[in-house]
Amino acid sequence: MNVISFKKPAIHFLGLFSFLLAFSVSSTTLQAQEDGEKLFKSYCASCHSPGANQLVGPGLAGVYDKYEREWLYKWIKNSGELIASGDAQAVAVFEQYNKVIMPAQPVTDVQVDAILDYIKVYNESAPVVADAGAAGAAEVVEVEDPGISNYAIAGLVVLFLIVIILLRKVQYIFTAAKAREAGEEMPEETTLTQALALTVSQNKTIFALLGIVCLAMFAKVGWDSAFGVGVYQGYEPEQPIKFSHELHAGTNGIDCNYCHNSASYSKSAGIPSPNLCMNCHTYIQEGPQYGKEEIGKIYAALDFDPVTKTYGPNQKPIKWVKVHNLPDHVYFNHSQHVSIGKIACQKCHGPVETYTVGKQHAELTMGWCINCHRETKVQMADNGYYDEIHKRLPEELKKQYLEDGTITVSELGGIECAKCHY
Amino acid sequence: MSNNKKYWKGVEELNNSPAFQEVKSKEFNEYLPAEDFLGDEGLLANSNTSRRDFLKYLGFGVTAASLAACEAPVNKVIPHVVKGDKTNPGVANYFATNYSDGFDYCDIVVKTREGRPIKIEGNKKSPLTGGAINARVNSSVLSLYDEKRYRAPEIGGTPTTWSKFNGTVKKQLSDALANGGKVRILTNSITSPSTKKLVADFVAANPSADIKHVSYDAVSASGMIEANKESFGVAALPTYDLSKAKSIVSIGADFMNSFPSSIELTSQYAKGRKPENGWMSKHFQFEASLSLSGSNADVRMPMKPSEYGKTVAAIYNYLNGSKSNVAPKVKMAAEHLLANKGESIVLCGVNDKDIQNVVIAINHMLGNYGTTVSIKRASNQRQGVDADVASLVNDLKSGSVDVLLIDGVNPVYSMPADMDFKGAMAKAKTSIVFASRPTETSVEAKMVGAAPHYLESWNDSNPVAGHYSITQPSISPLFDTMQFQDCMISWMGLDGNYYDFIKATWQAVTFPMQSESLLFEDFWNTTLELGYFTGKTAEGVELTFTDNASAALSKISKIKSSELEIEFYSKVGIGNGNQSHNPWLQELPDPISKITWDNYIAMNPAEAKEKGFAIEYGEQKDADTINITINGVTFENVPVVAQPGQAPGTLSVALGYGQTIGKSNEIIGFNVYPAVKGMMGYATEVSMEAAGEKYQIATTQTHQTVMGRTSVVRETTLDVFKNGSKEDYNPAHMLATHEGPMNVNDVDLWAAHPVATAGHHWGMSIDLNTCIGCGSCVTSCNSENNVPVVGKDEVRRSREMHWMRIDRYFSSSPESVEDRNYGEMESPEDNPMVVHQPMMCQHCNHAPCETVCPVAATTHSNEGLNQMTYNRCIGTRYCANNCPYKVRRFNWFNYMGYDKFADLNPSQDDLGRMVLNPDVTVRARGVMEKCSLCVQRIQTGKLDAKKESRPVMDGDIETACSSACPTNAITFGDYNDKSSKVLAASQSNRAYRVIEEVGTQSNIYYQVKVRNTESNIA
Repeated sequence: MNVISFKKPAIHFLGLFSFLLAFSVSSTTLQAQEDGEKLFKSYCASCHSPGANQLVGPGLAGVYDKYEREWLYKWIKNSGELIASGDAQAVAVFEQYNKVIMPAQPVTDVQVDAILDYIKVYNESAPVVADAGAAGAAEVVEVEDPGISNYAIAGLVVLFLIVIILLRKVQYIFTAAKAREAGEEMPEETTLTQALALTVSQNKTIFALLGIVCLAMFAKVGWDSAFGVGVYQGYEPEQPIKFSHELHAGTNGIDCNYCHNSASYSKSAGIPSPNLCMNCHTYIQEGPQYGKEEIGKIYAALDFDPVTKTYGPNQKPIKWVKVHNLPDHVYFNHSQHVSIGKIACQKCHGPVETYTVGKQHAELTMGWCINCHRETKVQMADNGYYDEIHKRLPEELKKQYLEDGTITVSELGGIECAKCHY
Repeated sequence: MSNNKKYWKGVEELNNSPAFQEVKSKEFNEYLPAEDFLGDEGLLANSNTSRRDFLKYLGFGVTAASLAACEAPVNKVIPHVVKGDKTNPGVANYFATNYSDGFDYCDIVVKTREGRPIKIEGNKKSPLTGGAINARVNSSVLSLYDEKRYRAPEIGGTPTTWSKFNGTVKKQLSDALANGGKVRILTNSITSPSTKKLVADFVAANPSADIKHVSYDAVSASGMIEANKESFGVAALPTYDLSKAKSIVSIGADFMNSFPSSIELTSQYAKGRKPENGWMSKHFQFEASLSLSGSNADVRMPMKPSEYGKTVAAIYNYLNGSKSNVAPKVKMAAEHLLANKGESIVLCGVNDKDIQNVVIAINHMLGNYGTTVSIKRASNQRQGVDADVASLVNDLKSGSVDVLLIDGVNPVYSMPADMDFKGAMAKAKTSIVFASRPTETSVEAKMVGAAPHYLESWNDSNPVAGHYSITQPSISPLFDTMQFQDCMISWMGLDGNYYDFIKATWQAVTFPMQSESLLFEDFWNTTLELGYFTGKTAEGVELTFTDNASAALSKISKIKSSELEIEFYSKVGIGNGNQSHNPWLQELPDPISKITWDNYIAMNPAEAKEKGFAIEYGEQKDADTINITINGVTFENVPVVAQPGQAPGTLSVALGYGQTIGKSNEIIGFNVYPAVKGMMGYATEVSMEAAGEKYQIATTQTHQTVMGRTSVVRETTLDVFKNGSKEDYNPAHMLATHEGPMNVNDVDLWAAHPVATAGHHWGMSIDLNTCIGCGSCVTSCNSENNVPVVGKDEVRRSREMHWMRIDRYFSSSPESVEDRNYGEMESPEDNPMVVHQPMMCQHCNHAPCETVCPVAATTHSNEGLNQMTYNRCIGTRYCANNCPYKVRRFNWFNYMGYDKFADLNPSQDDLGRMVLNPDVTVRARGVMEKCSLCVQRIQTGKLDAKKESRPVMDGDIETACSSACPTNAITFGDYNDKSSKVLAASQSNRAYRVIEEVGTQSNIYYQVKVRNTESNIA
């Protein structure tokens, strides 16, 4: 009997049932020194806001002063036990918040401290809207065009017109004076347009020049609009549910990865399935803007009865409208950019936490991709893969690449065709 | 069958009367008032619409339409309602399962994306097949998405529901069983212990009834099974270990293709073919038609199939001391066997009990049992006994059978004409056939059970003693289908379903065999994940050998020969015909003839020439047709093809053809099964005559020999390899320069590639010694890279799209090379030597294609890849013209959208599109394409390494071809990884690059073929 191979774990060959068993949340390995923000987002954010507003559970602002630390440790680690033990404070809290038991959290005391520290810092430094995840937004800065502004051009044009009109007046006055002197008939005063038409039609060079300028302008407009074909920057279709990123990612500060978690390990960022929504919306049955109407659409999809909190059999998927459409001949992988490149979501998707309707922020053209690959530094630190690649670089290339102190994506071949087209 | 008969629409056309000719010259028969209209000038002058207006509207219309087309289509994105834990869009899942259709057995891993199976690969961990796979198994994923599949059960040809179907069957069964009636179950060779138990339970539950289960193999190994029963008391096949055999003698056994358990044998064979080990097996092949095994043999002797028995007898007698009157090659084989006692194997493919008895005696005499052959570790891969099948047919003919159940076989199609199964089946009171698509048998049945594809089913398997595996579904059933076993459970009124039944069987049978897992669920899940379980082989079975040779020998001496004999063989692609409807397999060129989409009568080229038949085939060169009568069955107007290596006085023809394919129900080839009398693999009653017509043949390689070029294919003998230096068998190419002769690699127009030593440098090494030409890599590549099927007509125009092809070269005798008589070199001998050479884009460092592309659509990457950018290509085809390897393919049509192709290829219709690999672009019309070295797999491998923060390990990334190679002849890796296998291979003494002298500096190395032979005997 081949004992060894029988025992070997075979991660690739996922049996239908074994992966169900194998799936468990690895949690206890988190180090205490990891910042409280991360811990908060992974354990607390789905039900609690770090501010004062209530989600599923109460907002946590001030919680660090309100209760004793030792009591908080016990409550967070296993609130059910605490309630069952008859702790008066615990029972009071339980009664106050609709008798929903907070699930036991696999955290250590040190981690609880870190979380509470984060909440404290959060409330003291940013009293208003959380800028969770808005760090990337700072990178999207409107760049002023360094050329001459349109106002300057308009001013110049007006100035020239005034000068021309004045000069013509002066010329007319002189001509008229001359005629009067000579005793001739007063010449008729021509309008500016008549004069211009006369000049242009009589002067072939000006006619040709004007023609060329017109043609060039048409060509430029045509060329620019041709570049716009297939670019849907700002595309903002109406969605079946009026979901607001502003409310979820902005006000409530839910991490992008909470709903779009496959962005960190998959090619596609994924649209969350309604059962993920239910983590919060089992309890939050009314929204601030549309009341029960929009949240009711999730319940309809899942055939969920909000009163009895039971699921029915008539489930039907939600058909969202895809906002970002890449052509089929482009291969794009979210995980490469999110997990390896450590690019903030906002770099490509814009300040999503301010959008009430999902929209396409970037132009998503090849030039846009390539520019970023030219400028972006490869995140080589602490990655065994890049250590090996770096070791293999010959000295002269290291020197050449590191001339500006960074190794960019394009220097490692990131603008080659078959990195995205195959 | 398509042919060039003259067709006419009526007697007029046949007689070509003057009236008919006049009518023929007119496009429309009726009176058209065009002249009246155009001739009236007034009419046009008074019209409001002028020509200018018309053009204006036309112009506006075109512009408006094209502007409107710029509007973005609204794409919907629909997430799961409740997402599974591991079903993530964009992430592939892998399921270990197995393929067992009664002809091939293979442990496999199925790759699914977004829940759809898209690729099948061998299970590298399996101790039985070790990751080996063949073209038939890796193409089987396409059959899942066959438009023609049954979507519901049928009663009397009308679709019905399963509850009605099962209710009807249950009633008929209970009526029959209550009256002690006869029930017959006819299946393929079932390797499933659970199915066998289920059938046994069914029999046991009805002790008063007459129930029999008969296994049936269309290509029968009954003779072997019976001989083993007589010699050892075990009605099964032995297992072999070719990796230990120094001497392999095969008499009419194509053990790399159609012999039972060919996948295992192929991978074992390769292990004994590595000259670096210091030894190499010597392979003798005695056969009539040039088989895949024969093409790889060191010594091959063409002979008539009726002489196989006599050859076996001659070897037996020689080993016993009677050494007179023996053919030189038979003598050579016998002496080699004697010199390697206990390390040799004799195989024979004839379905004849007596011959097989002598083969067993030879292997026993040589002491091979226990070393290279084992009957204790028996194989269940063929179980059909011809006598049982015949008695079932007789029962049917007598009209006494109440219920006939058929699963997994197509006897109306595959049984000989003299058995008249169709007529016999009609006499059964109820006939129930389980089939996944309409077959010749299912359309005759009274009830049809719509069977699921094996990728949608639960099952288990015990192909050889001690090896157990689970078949698990990798997708929910696409249609309203139900397995034969689930139906049985319903008819028997048992609780649960077949899945529960399998688990119960495993708990009782395999779980006690191990001690690692204490809980059955643990054991089940581990096995499910791994795909197999290695249990104990049956112990305590005494294998006493009974020598039946002498009686058998006298029977063998009575075997009659005739002037003209024909051998029936199975093609590498089509096999026994189970997957004849699979276009990937139809378009896979036969490894020997390189003909696609057809079977044909193969004939010795000299005899064909003598009879005046065409011996060359191409777009303008058609084959001749003959009328042939085999065992009293006549086939009219079938093509005849000259096949080098075909024994004189013999013909051969492939089984498994004559079935329909595609939406248009085109019949491909002709069905020879009716002529296979007594399930014997050859016939001696053959007569033929020229039919005088032409038949179009689609072949992918028109030239026959290597034409004396030494820089394409290099081969040597084991003797030279061992005792000579590299210069003797793999000399460097030298160029004459003004500084004297220089190595071709030192003379270069171009600067060295700037980053050849940095980052990755992907490349490949192909060992011509272990490449057997089976084509598994070709179909694997098709499936991985969305390569379209183009059909026979386009293959004839040399427009096949395969990124990977296997060039087959015959070698002529050395004299003709010296003479440089190219005309003569084009006609190989009666018994040529064969080299198989896989050929795809060589990813040249100095690629000729890159320099001629006017739009830089083909460029070089800093990882050594020659990149092809479809969206930039404008289709000038300059690159293809400049490629010395001829590996670039042009998309002449929109293969995915054009009905002509969608009719043929299920992967090009709506359902079949589900098989496409979403990571690879589907190419549009008018662009070039070629092998990308599976760049999508390289990118995925790199990304996985980055995520795990480790370097890319050697062997992490495999291309579709290297992973599908059953002999591991293809090695892929990174030349910049100093420990990689591919780097070592490229630096070995056998390494060379094809047409290196042109200076392409390709990244694909080949290893010189080494034959274990004395140079002038072949």
